[in-house]
Order: sequence, then structure tokens, then C-alpha cells
Amino acid sequence: MTLGHRDYDMRPPLHPFTALTAAACAAVVTTAAAYSPLSVAVALAAVFLAVRRGVAGRVLPAAAVILAPLCLSLLVLHGLFFPEGQTVLAQWGPARVTAEGLGFALELGTRNTACVLVFLLFSFTVSVPDLVSALAGRRIPPQFGFVLASTLTLVPAVAVRLDRIRQAQETRGMVVRRGLLSRLGALRLQMVPLVLALIDDAGSRAQALDARGFGSRGPRTSYREVADPPAQRRFRAAALLFAAAAVVWRIVASWPVGVPS
Amino acid sequence: MSQPALTITAPGQAAGRRRRLLEIAGAAAIAATYIFLVLTQPADIANGPASFSALVALGGFLLGAVLLIVAVLPVLPTSTVVLIPVALVLNVVLGQLMGGTGLPFYIDAIGTVLIAVLAGPAAGAATGALSSIVWSFFNPTVLPFAAGAALIGFLAGMAARGGLFRRFYFAPIAGFVTGILAGVVSAPIAAFVFGGTSGLGTGAIVSAFRAMGDTLLAAITKQALISDPMDKAIVFAIAALLAYALPRRTTFQFPFVRRYRVLAGKAPAAPDA
Repeated sequence: MTLGHRDYDMRPPLHPFTALTAAACAAVVTTAAAYSPLSVAVALAAVFLAVRRGVAGRVLPAAAVILAPLCLSLLVLHGLFFPEGQTVLAQWGPARVTAEGLGFALELGTRNTACVLVFLLFSFTVSVPDLVSALAGRRIPPQFGFVLASTLTLVPAVAVRLDRIRQAQETRGMVVRRGLLSRLGALRLQMVPLVLALIDDAGSRAQALDARGFGSRGPRTSYREVADPPAQRRFRAAALLFAAAAVVWRIVASWPVGVPS
Repeated sequence: MSQPALTITAPGQAAGRRRRLLEIAGAAAIAATYIFLVLTQPADIANGPASFSALVALGGFLLGAVLLIVAVLPVLPTSTVVLIPVALVLNVVLGQLMGGTGLPFYIDAIGTVLIAVLAGPAAGAATGALSSIVWSFFNPTVLPFAAGAALIGFLAGMAARGGLFRRFYFAPIAGFVTGILAGVVSAPIAAFVFGGTSGLGTGAIVSAFRAMGDTLLAAITKQALISDPMDKAIVFAIAALLAYALPRRTTFQFPFVRRYRVLAGKAPAAPDA
């Protein structure tokens, strides 16, 4: 029985596993191919989809925060120091700019960008309740779904709580001065109440969950059912086969010399 | 205050053996992947660039982490399962708070270590691996390090079981050793999957070793040996401080803490219930 949750939605809903499979396969194929034009194409496709789904405003800043330090570090590291490089473009003391080093930095930079964008697109578009109920329908421990959903709801709650603890301690006279000791002292005044409250809450939550049969074994029923059209199942199977073929091709193509296969 | 939820459940004999096999398979997958990567690291990463090693590292380490989660998660008591989201949030929030103090450390495992101290090595390993998986929703680059995070949680739990948290000065030492092992295991991920480290401080150290002609894996392993032990020593010290700052009524309700006498001091007088 499908509860008519999605029936009002005009778009054909994407099953969470379909989106996850697409993201994972795109990342695996990009990694296996190790071809920077393909990485760039995947990254651009992810940006295009993010714009179309209206999440570009959240995906792109999140990706920039992750990728900017990583790509900058790759550029400095491989651009200046690449002992394996042969084609030296410039040299200052120990630092040598080599064509191979720059190529390697470009290759890994685009690959990391593509993978990060694809996964962020998945996590910013997936509906967490759908994902949790889809997970519960498979042979995945129900605790996993609980941990996932509980964490995603706990993060904003903790931010609010930390703010309240800080205000309470400030009214009691907590002043953060410049010195390290003062800062660490202020940190202790905020951390201990936060940790204590969270662990205490967890204890009472455990009792409430156990009273409702959380720890018992056996299959679970869910009020929420996520439609899984056959076309999407076929797409998932095809994507997984394609990714597996790409991995096998890469392993056969560059099996290290000297290791018995 | 009675806490029936905190008793350890006794699973069936056969199921217990199957879980043990899964745990061993998970640990073996991680160890075998590491050994394979070190033995077969491409001498010339510019040719066929690290792609093969990246796939092996991702596949082997993620398989190991997933096997550990599947083996451990269903047998954890509910009281421990509800702590895992708390640990993950603490990893992130306390890491951000520590960042606010201006100390040059990347402190992101306080919650994992705290749970390992309170609930044991299995819970610690599951918390570490799950933290990486759930946090990858916000930062996908965390996902490949799941095996290293599981190792940190497991070792912290073993240190707690061995009584290293009973004396305050032993905790940073245990953290130092954990940092060495975790840093070495995580180095192939940084080297082959990402091609370097995120952050300019660590990047400068790697660059220095590369300038001396080291391979990328060797340079990142040496960098990890410089930064990780210190970082984990601080994390273990903070986790120990937190464990002692919590009321004993809270810490001693965990069966692991009571059974292995993890923390110094006597258990609070048992209530009449």
C-alpha cells in the first residue's frame, strides 16, 4: 500500500537509491577513467543538475569550502615539488615546476572536484525520510537508519543548545579574554554542560526507544513507502554494471608489474 | 534509577560466531588493502596516475568499514546506539569550538573517543566508521577515511579497557600511539585518492619531504607521523577530561565502564532500586 504522500507531486520521484547509485557510479567511473576532460564534464553536469533542481546556492558554497584548500594545496604541492617530473618549466632552488607535476595536479584536482560535486548534489537533493525508509526496507540494520536520521536532526538542535549554554554562562560571568588559558577555561564551561546534557538525553531516549521495541530483532514495517518504478531498477542495474566494467578495465589495464594476478 | 536498557544482550551462539567472522573479515580487509597498497605503490605516479591505487584503497577500506558496521551495529545495546549520533555531533561541534581557540590542530574525533571510553572498542569502531559515513553527507571527502576513524575508535576502546584512562597522564600516551597507527593507515587514502592533504600547513610538510625526493605515499606517511600523534594525544586528553568532568552517576551507568573499571574512583553507591 502506498500512502499518498508523493501522489501530489507532479514530477516522477527519484528513488533515493537511484540517486545514490547514480552519484556513486559517476564518482567510480570518473576515478577509474582518470581522464581530466571527463572529470570536468562530470563536474559541469553536476553543477547543471544542481541549478535545475534549485540547490546550486547551497551545493556550490559547500563544495567551494571543501575544494578550495584541497585544490590549492594540490597545486602548490605537485606544481612545485614533483621529483618524478622530467620536463622542467622553471626552477627556483629546490622547487621545480614540471609539466608532469602540473598535469598531475590538474588531473587530481578535477577528479576530486567532480566526486565532491556529485556527492553533494545527492545529499542536498535526497529526502532523508525517504532514504531512511528505503534503507529500512532492505537488509540493512535498522540502527543505521536511526543514526543517520537522528544525526541530521541533532545537528541544528545542538547548535541552538550551545548558543543557550553560552548565553547562560555569560550571564554567570564567563568572559572570553585573549589568553589561551582564558579561552580554554571558557571552552570547558561550554563543553561540559553540552556533553552532559547530550549524554543524559541519550539515556532517556534509549529507554523510550526500547519501550517501543527498537532493540528487538525481526523485520520492521514502515508507514512510509517509497515508490520504486521498474525503470529505475533497470537503470540502477545498468549503472552498477557500467561502473563495475570501468573498475575491471582499470584493474586489468594497470595491474602493477611484479604482482602475480 | 533502574536502567534495563543498559544490560548487555547475549546473542545466540551461531549468530555470535557469524558476527565475529564479519568483524575479522572487516579488519582483514583493511589490513590487506594497506599492505597491498604499500607493496604495489606505483613507482611513477605520473604514468597511469594513482587511479588503480585509488580504486583499491576506496574499495578495500570502505568494504572493511561496512563489514565492521554490519557486524557490530545490530548487537550494540540501544543505550549505545543512541550515543552514536551524539558522538558524531560532538566530533563536529567540539572540533569547531577547538578551532575557535586558535590552536593549530584539526581535532575531529573527541566524540568517537569519548564513546569508546564509555562503551568499549566495538562501539568505538562502529562510531568512527558511521561518523565518517554520515558526515560525508556534508563533506564527501571524509568518507574514504572511514577505516582510519574506525581504527581510532577501536584503539581508544582498547586503551580504556586496558585501564589507560585510570591515570590522567596515560591517556595522551595512548592517543599518541593511536595517532601513529591511524595516521599510517590513512596515508594511502590521502596519497592516492586525493593526491595530497587539504590544508596549507600539512601541505607544506608534504612538500618538504617531496623536495627531498620521497614518493608521495612516503611523504604523506611522514607528514602524518608528525601531525597525527600530537593531534590524537590532545583528543584523548580532552576525552579523558570530559569523562572525568561528567558526574559519576552518568559514567558508571555504562556496563563497560563498570566491568573493566575504566575510570578511576569508586562506583557511586548503588541505589536501592
